[in-house]
Order: sequence, then structure tokens, then C-alpha cells
Amino acid sequence: MKLDYLHSSHFLITTKFESSLTASHSKVEFDFLVRGQFLRMPLSAHMDTEAISTEDVVEIEYVEKITAPEPEECMMHDDWISSIDADSEWILTGSYDKTARIWSVDGKAVMTVAGHLDVVKDATWVKRDGLTSLLLTASLDQTVLLWEWNSERNKVKARHCCRGHTGSVDTVSTDPTGSKFCSGSWDKMLKIWSAGKKRIKKSRMPQTDQGRNRRPSSSTPLMTLSGHNEAVSSVLWSDAEEVCSASWDHTIRVWDVEAGAMKTTLTGSKVFNCISYSPLCRRLASGSTDRHIRLWDPRTKDGALVLLSLTSHTGWVTAVKWAPTHEHQLVSGSLDNLVKLWDTRSCKAPLYDLAAHEDKVFCVDWTESGLMLSGGADNKLYSYKYSPCRTDAGA
Amino acid sequence: MRWSVSGSSTRVQSFVRNAGTFPPLTTTPPPTPPVYSMLTTLFNINNKATEKDDDDLSDSEDSQFSGLEDSGSDSEDEESDVEEKSSDDVEEDDGSNDDQDKQRQQTKVKNNKNKKGATEGKQEKKGDEYEHDTSDEEDIRNTVGNIPMEWYKDFPHIGYDLDGKKIFKPIRNKDELDEFLDKMENPDYWRTVHDKQTGRDIVLSDEQVDLVNRLQRGQFGDINFNEYQPTVEFFSSDVMIHPVTNRPADKRSFIPSLIEKEKVSKLVHAIKMGWIKPRRVQADSKERYYDLWANEDSSILAKHRMHLPAPKLRLPGHEESYNPPPEYLFTEEEKALWEQQDPEDRKLPFIPKKFSSLRQVPAYSRFIHEKFERCLDLYLCPRQRKMRVNVNPEDLIPKLPKPKDLQPFPTTQSLVYRGHSGLVRSVSVSPSGQWLASGSDDGSVRFWEVCSSRCMKIVQVGGAVKSVAWNPNPALCLLAVAVDSTVLILSPSLGDKLVISSSERLLAGSQEENPSEGPQPVVWSETEGEELKEGIHLKIQHPKAVHQVTWHAKGDYLASVMPDHSSHLQVFIHQLSRRRSQNPFRKNKGLVQCVAFHPIRPFFFVATQRYVRIYNLVKQEMAKKLQANSKWISNIAVHPGGDHVICGSYDCKLSWFDLDLSTKPYKVLRHHKKAVRSVAFHKGYPLFASASDDGTVIVCHGTVYNDLLQNPLIVPVKVLRGHVITHDLGVLDVTFHPTQPWIFSSGADATIRLFT
Repeated sequence: MKLDYLHSSHFLITTKFESSLTASHSKVEFDFLVRGQFLRMPLSAHMDTEAISTEDVVEIEYVEKITAPEPEECMMHDDWISSIDADSEWILTGSYDKTARIWSVDGKAVMTVAGHLDVVKDATWVKRDGLTSLLLTASLDQTVLLWEWNSERNKVKARHCCRGHTGSVDTVSTDPTGSKFCSGSWDKMLKIWSAGKKRIKKSRMPQTDQGRNRRPSSSTPLMTLSGHNEAVSSVLWSDAEEVCSASWDHTIRVWDVEAGAMKTTLTGSKVFNCISYSPLCRRLASGSTDRHIRLWDPRTKDGALVLLSLTSHTGWVTAVKWAPTHEHQLVSGSLDNLVKLWDTRSCKAPLYDLAAHEDKVFCVDWTESGLMLSGGADNKLYSYKYSPCRTDAGA
Repeated sequence: MRWSVSGSSTRVQSFVRNAGTFPPLTTTPPPTPPVYSMLTTLFNINNKATEKDDDDLSDSEDSQFSGLEDSGSDSEDEESDVEEKSSDDVEEDDGSNDDQDKQRQQTKVKNNKNKKGATEGKQEKKGDEYEHDTSDEEDIRNTVGNIPMEWYKDFPHIGYDLDGKKIFKPIRNKDELDEFLDKMENPDYWRTVHDKQTGRDIVLSDEQVDLVNRLQRGQFGDINFNEYQPTVEFFSSDVMIHPVTNRPADKRSFIPSLIEKEKVSKLVHAIKMGWIKPRRVQADSKERYYDLWANEDSSILAKHRMHLPAPKLRLPGHEESYNPPPEYLFTEEEKALWEQQDPEDRKLPFIPKKFSSLRQVPAYSRFIHEKFERCLDLYLCPRQRKMRVNVNPEDLIPKLPKPKDLQPFPTTQSLVYRGHSGLVRSVSVSPSGQWLASGSDDGSVRFWEVCSSRCMKIVQVGGAVKSVAWNPNPALCLLAVAVDSTVLILSPSLGDKLVISSSERLLAGSQEENPSEGPQPVVWSETEGEELKEGIHLKIQHPKAVHQVTWHAKGDYLASVMPDHSSHLQVFIHQLSRRRSQNPFRKNKGLVQCVAFHPIRPFFFVATQRYVRIYNLVKQEMAKKLQANSKWISNIAVHPGGDHVICGSYDCKLSWFDLDLSTKPYKVLRHHKKAVRSVAFHKGYPLFASASDDGTVIVCHGTVYNDLLQNPLIVPVKVLRGHVITHDLGVLDVTFHPTQPWIFSSGADATIRLFT
């Protein structure tokens, strides 16, 4: 129980709090919140910096302290890891060795998905039907491949080859239902593709199946969204029919997929490397080349309003990801080899620095099952255990 | 007439004094009665006014004081007097001078009548009656008394004497003629007076004449009377023991006066209200003290201010002494050194010498010389005052915007591209900004992914790569590499498949008909096998080592530089689509360092050691010659607008030329401490950079205005450090990202760094 920084001020510890101390939890650490901000210094100093008058009644909330993520596994790759997508069972990674890999959450290599002619820049799960999973890989070879993977037989099969981009496909994202996906490319375009099964033509599969490079059926995009002036670096579905894309042209654009039109533009001042959207707090987090993680409200009309800026990294922020279960937490990876765990209620400093990587971090991810993942240029995929908490205990 | 002198009034005093004048006429008996009577008549004749005054005076005084004493009888007297006088006056008016006697007599008669009346009325006062009687003054020679003498006109006598005998008139035998004769002949005629009472002529004596004269002059009759007797001062400043008046002082003399108080308060009120201005005390306009030198001639002062004091001489030290301490004496070596040195270099202009006594000091041998030199100094060394310019150095710095306001520009190192094993001489970015090519001395060309610093491809070219240049045409994906004496055209196979295939087709599918016009200096050749697999498609063999390759903006022409002192074959321009090469210059204008194409117009920039020549490729003539003012140009870069050139030189300078302005540098920046190796312009942002052997890249903001009158704004904004100086070489090449405000620099430490 860390109460030493509270001794200077007078406040009452509620009986509830006392009881929770003496209850079954023998050793629980708490964090204290003053007006939505974590108390990271003596209360008086905090009130000074936050300009809270000492005359006011200050309500102090307490929450169970987020415990430090514990390193779990280290999964070695053959080359740099460009992307991670993990669900509760499997971890999908894209790598610079032109393959994607499937790992189990406890760190066993399950499958190597090879088929791209160039670096796999992004990989993502589409959906899972029992043992069959659909996954996507986007590559520098300007294609997106839709794979079908049976976990029982451990066989992977390319279902679609999505051609159409004229630049490397850097990012791909599936819609919440798993029926569509969107890809963003260096050629400044966003393309919406269908993930449905109807276009599979099995008859052509053996014909193109020559040697290593089996050619799956080509598919054409449902829609092309153009509007960015520079390469699209990150794309995501924020709603059933809404796509957000971040680009090197210093903008984040929100697109209406149904109408195929742009809805909103959020203008920053630097290149955006990555964005992440949390349906819990309805905020966009962006990582850019100027070391800052910025939080945006994608629904705002006026565009360029940064809600919050999290600054602690010293290099480009290459990956951000909101916690799937917590509305305040996010994790970020940067070129300064660090992965940082943030709480938006403490924007001055991250909760934890995870300094496991020895080289640039390119991708981070969470699972709902309490796993945090990060991969980078040191060919290592680290997984950390964290304590998922859905609700704030004392709030 | 009775005078009662009583009391002590001034009036009485004055009267007493007057009485001193007249009473002799009345009180004192006249010495000779006829003379007296004659006198009175004389008065009557000669001075009527006097007589009248006398009468008046006596009468008035009489009435006055008689009134004071007793009223009754005297008042009657007075009335009678008045009557008498009035009758006198009437008679005088009517009568002639001769009537005087008769007149007197009448009055006497009247007086007598009055006396009779008085005796009749008041018996008890008879004793006092003759006190006022003037009858004793009568002429005793004639007893008729004071009657008008004309009464005796018709008689032979004129009266009676004391014995009662008739006094007969003297025989008047004198007629007018006698009178006249008498007047003319008798010397005493003027003093002869006719006495009417006796009827005789009387000759006045000298005393009598004198008395008459004195009286006529208004003087006192008595000679001995002193009219200026000392007066008794009754009212003087001296306090007498007996006060003049014994009244006590008034109360008003010692209580404040209300009237005065009222007057003063009125004045005070008026002053307060400003109706009356109190008289102002005049400040003396002339000050007591003043500046004596205020009007001093300023030229004199100026002369004094410019006065230059002679330089202070050092005081003589021990070495100048005739008997210096031994440590000041020269040793043999010092002496030898002193003699070897030039006179200007010597520490001392003389050799210290020691003498046991002052007597033995010889005469100064250089006396004449020194005098002459001093005079020479005075003559030849005019002293001059150098006015120090009192300017704040801050003010001389031109007002430049703050770097903060000129963002964006690269500020921090973001990525390091590691992999080369030799110094990286050249970097080039693909037109899309996705790829970076670098050529190194380790004989390889590497291709990097910009955003991740991933080395995507390594091409071994078998020689130190001097220069790489990415084809600026976005529809092509080609890289020109200068290795030794060859220029390689590489297809990196990065990016769009269509672009790759089209560029490969361009390289492969060009017609082979190469009209051999004798021995060509440049040989084009296609590669095969392993080299082709690596992406090397074409080799352009040059006669000498190629130092630089650069593309025209359209991507079809390629220029290569082979610095050579002796030959005119220094620059070749190759046309990729037709595989032709030509040497545009016939003459050797100097060692060519660097060439560049104009981004828009058909101009070609050739930098030799000292000049940058601009050639018009269409007209095939030199358009301009820029003087770099530096000893050895290392690199040039052309602004994307085409009107400005920056030029780095090995003497640490960066010169900015405005081609519209002048052939001399518009601005020379000397920020680097060592040779500038490379300069670059950004294609979109107003940025340019220079890389130097001191390991830094300096990024400058350079806004170019469309307005021809406005000069470019050049502000150094950032010094980028990161490269390690290896073998005295720092940053060798620098290039900007085509779309982002990022800069790549390659260094001798085998790394490429990205600053964002």
C-alpha cells in the first residue's frame, strides 16, 4: 500500500476502502486519481501543477493499480517483424522474410504462410469459423492475399490475391463483421475488398499452382477511395461502414464506405505512421514521426483538434494500439526500441516502459486474454502478461 | 479805553506784543504836541488806509475785550463808535483833505455829547469817565479842542490859548506864486508841514523825518525796539515737568480700532478672492552665478577633445641603470642572440652595461642618431584618431525570422541506415520517396526502404561507387551509378511492377543500330548473366574515371563528369532512349567539378574550380558565368525554380547565386568549419542544406519570392549532427526527401542518416 505521498494532505479514507484493505486481497496496489489524473507526485505538488485550488474539495478516486506487464515469451523470427495481429488463441505476424507466421499464444510456431513475393507489411485475422480462419497479408509486392487456414489440419490456402494497388500495400484492415476489408497502399489509394467466399474459383487454383508460388485467384476491389496526397500508412475500420486512414500527407481521413466518400479530415503536422481506434472511448490514437501520440475525436467536424498528446518516446512512433478491454490504456511502440504502456489519465508519463527490444519496434498488439505483444527489427516477438481489468475498481 | 490783561491765552499774548507797537503813539506823551498832532494829520493825509486800520484795530479790540468784561455801557460806547466811524467815512468820502481838522473836531464834539449822556444816565460811574478821555492829548497851544477848524475860517483867529487870548491866524500873504517859489527855492519846503490848528508852517526836524520814513516803511517808530526777540518755546519736544494739559490718555488710544480692523479684513478678503494682487517680489532676472565658459568657442574645445596624448613611455627599469643587478646583464648567449636579431625583434634596444660609478658612464654614442630618429618619428608618424563606431553589434544583425517560425525543417535524427562497410559517397532518393539508394566505397549499391531503414537490395558493382542518381521520372525506376570509369544503369526492381517492367523494357528494347562513327569515346554495352540478374542493365564505358552522374528532370538525359585537366572530354551527356552520348564542349575551361541540369529550361550548369558556367543547350552557347569567389567548388545544386544556384566549396563556403541578380554570390554562408562536400535543395519546401567534412549538415531556410525585387530570405535553421568523422571525412552527400521535410545524409562512417 503506497500511501506515503498522501500523508501530507488530509483526507478521509472511506470505510469501504478500509474494508477492501482488510478483505481477501492481501496485497493490492492502488492508484489514486484526482480529477481524472493519476497522482504521480505528492498531492500538494500535483494540485499546484494542475492548478487546483486548495480551497476546493478534491475527490480522490482510487483504482487498482495496473500491474507491470510481465514478459512471457520471446518468439524468434527469421527477419524483421512488420506486423502483429493476435486474437485469443493465435498470433499472426507478418515479417520481412516475405512470410506471415501463425503462433499460438504460448509461443509455439504453428504455421508459416508463404506466398508473397516481397516483404509482408501487414497481416490480420479476418474471422474465425471454428477451426477455419481467414487471414490477410499485405505485402510490398502490391498485393493482398486472403488466406484460409485450418488450425486442425494446419493447412493454409490462399483464397484471393487482391491486385490493384500500384504501390506496396502497407496496411490492411477488416471490417467488424469480417465480410470486407480495406487496404491502404503507398500509391495513396484505399481499396475496399470483399472477403466473401463466392469468388473462389477452385478450378483455377491448380492451374496457377506452379512450384512454390501458387497463384490464387485474383480479385478486384469493391471500391477505391482516393484522396490522400501521400502514401497511406495505416487504415482501420472504426465502424461497420466507416474507415479511418492515416497517411504521410499529415492527415487522418475518415471515409464513409457505403457512399465511398470522405467524411472528415483530421490534419496534423507530421507524417502519421499508425492509428488505432478504441470503441470504448471512441478516440483515435495516432503515432507520428514527431515522437508524439495524439488522441483525436474522429467525429469532430472541425478536424484539427488534438485532445491529448502523449509524449515520452524519442523516436518515431510506429505502432499504437488501444487496450481491447480498457478505455484508458494504450500501448505504443517506437523506433527508440521501447514499448510503452500508457494510461490517458496520466499523459505526462507512461505507466510502464517495456524495454525488451534491441532494435526498432514496428508493431504492437493486445489480446483480450491478457497478452501484450510487440515485434520489431530485432526479429523478436515479445509477449507480456498483463492483468486485464474491464472496469475500474474504485471509480 | 481800558485793557484788562487777564488769563494766559495766546490771544492776550499776541495782543500784548502788538501793544508794544502802538501804545507809544497813545500812552507815551508825545515829545512835542504840535509835532504829534501834525503827525496824525500827516497820517490822515498821506495814509488814509493806515489810519483807518488803526482805528479799526483799536475799535475791534476795544469791543472785543469790553464785551468780555462788562457789557451794558460799553456796548453803547461801541455803538457810538461805530456811528462815529460811519459818519467819518461818509465825510471823508465827501470832504477834502483839508476837512480833516473839522472832522476831528466833530468827533470830539460827539464824544463830549456822549460823555454828557453818560454822566447824565449813570452818576456813579463819573469817576471813571476821564480815564477814557483823550482830551489831554489835545494841542495845548489851542484850546478849541478837537473841532473842525473851518469853523474858524471866517474869523481872524483860530482859537484861544491857555490864557484865553485869541490866537490870531498868521498873516497869509503867500499866494500860489509864492507857494511855487517857495517850493522851488526853499530847500526845506519838503519838510515843511502846515499846522492847521495854529495855522503855521512847521519845518520838521531830521528825527521827525526819519520817524515818518520808518513808519511809512512799516517799521517800528522806536529804533531801539528789537522785533526779533527770542521766543519762549512753550510747545516743544521736551517733556516738561508740568504738562501742558493734564488729561488722561484716551481709551481709544489703547484699544484696537474696529474701523481699522474692518478695513484690514476687507483687504484680506480682497486678496483672498484675488481682487487685489499683492505686489510680487521681483525675482532678480539676472542670476547670481553663471557659466563663465558657456560661450566658449567650440572649436577650441573640439581641438581639445581630439587631443591625442603621446604614448606613455615605459619607465626605465633596472636594465637601464648604469649599475644594474647582475641578473639584468646579458649572458654571452643573450648577447649573441641580441646581435643576431634584427633591431625590430630585439627585446631591448641596447645592451645593459655595468659601471662601478656614474662618473665612468661614457657619453651616449647614439645621441645624434636617436635625436634624428625621434625627429623622424615625429615627422613620419602622423597620429590619427580612429573613430570607434559605437554600434550595438546586435543591431547590425539583420532581422531574421526565428527558426521556430520557419518550420517544418529536419531537426532530429530519426533513422540510421546501417549496412555499408565503406564510406558512403552518394545517396539518392526515389522520386516517390519510398526508396533510398546509396553508393559506397565498399563496391556496393544499396537500396533502402526509407520508412523502416530496411536494406531491400544490395548490388555489388565491383568498384567504389562515386555517385548514384535516381532517375527523376516517376514512370521509370532506374538508377545511374558511377563506378570507376563506367556508368551503370540499374533497375532496382522496387515499387510498381508496371514501372519496373516499362523501365526494363526501355533498357532492353532500344534499337541496336549504333552508327559507328569512328572510335567513340563512350561505349554503351548491355550486360548479361549475373549482372543482369542483379539489375545492372547497361554499362556506359567512359575513357576516364567518372565522378558524378546526374539526370535531367525528364529522365532521358544523363550527364557524367570526368574531371581532367588536360582534356576537353570532361562532360558527357547521354541520351538513354537512343543510347547516344555526346560531349558538348570543345574546350577545356578548367577542371569540371560538378554538373547539373536546369530543372525546367534547357540550361546546363558546369562548375569548374572557380566558376559556374551556364550553357544554353539549345543555342549551344554560354549564357552566364558565375564567380563563386571560392577556391575550389565542390558541389552545386539548382533551385527547383531554376533561378537560384547554391554552390558549396572546399573552403567551407556556401554561396547562393540569384541568377537574375548578379553573377556574384547573393549571399555567402560560412557556417561550416571544414570543406563543404555537398549541397542540396528541397523540391517542395523552401529548404536547402549543406554537408561538410566537420560532420554536420546545416539546414537553411531559403524562401524565394516570385517578386523579382524581393531578395531571397536565407535563414540557417538547424545544424544536424550525428555522423562520426572518419579519416577526416564527415558527411559526404546530402539529399532531401522529395515530399517530406526530411534529409538524408551519407557519411564517411558508412552510415546514412535520416533527419526529420
